[in-house]
Amino acid sequence: MDIFTTFAISSSAMKAQKIRLDTVSSNLANAETTATPEGGPYKKKSVYFQSKPMDFREHLDSALQSSAQGVEVTQILEDQDPPRQVYNPAHPDAGEDGYVAMPNVDVLKEMVDMMSATRSYQANVTTIQAAKRMAQKALEIGR
Amino acid sequence: MKPIQLADPISALLTKSMDLRSINQQVLAANIANAETPNYAPARFHFAEALQQAMTKSGVAMQTTDEQHITGGPGSIADVSGRIVREPATNPLGDNNGVSVDEEMVALSENQLMYETAAQLLKKRMTMLKYAISGGQ
Repeated sequence: MDIFTTFAISSSAMKAQKIRLDTVSSNLANAETTATPEGGPYKKKSVYFQSKPMDFREHLDSALQSSAQGVEVTQILEDQDPPRQVYNPAHPDAGEDGYVAMPNVDVLKEMVDMMSATRSYQANVTTIQAAKRMAQKALEIGR
Repeated sequence: MKPIQLADPISALLTKSMDLRSINQQVLAANIANAETPNYAPARFHFAEALQQAMTKSGVAMQTTDEQHITGGPGSIADVSGRIVREPATNPLGDNNGVSVDEEMVALSENQLMYETAAQLLKKRMTMLKYAISGGQ
């Protein structure tokens, strides 16, 4: 049984979901940041997933090679939505007209994204646990 | 000369079933891992029918006149390899991903349970074999 392939597939997904969660926490932490080193308000960042073929031993046929794919984060891009304009003349970053450019982060969307990332992570942990138990059962045969 | 059979047909079936189920586990793991990858079509591993056919040996086998002839028709249990079919998303809404995580998780649990059942049965057979070898000691 090639249990380690299952591990590799699920752990690649766990890694990808972790990066997604990191991005969500960065977005949430900076939901009110009006000044960044690059200038202007903070811009929401999103991760993009892509499936990735796993390394296989030679004994597996080509059909399986193409079907057992892990996940990788290909890029983390900034959202191009315009910043929210909030009227607050007292703010140090306010413009001439008294409006402040706030980050284009939607807190509600981020929370949903966070829940989704957590659930996906858990599903992959369950997969690893199942594979581990199966391997243990196979080892018991010889006992 | 026929090869000496070390394992009985039931053990061969259980071993093969465990092999196929471990491949199925990998396929399901890949589907769950890619639950949020855009344009991912989940894979399905079909092997049950082929295994069933090899078990019952239904169909017509070719007649052989020599031990070395290859028998056509239904193959032996060892020859069952199963096949992988891609199922693209039927609903074009969203990111065109066809994975349903709950379905995959149910399939995963079932697969795990069936694997463990086969492992348990195989273990029992080994215990019985040991018992026979030791003359009931």
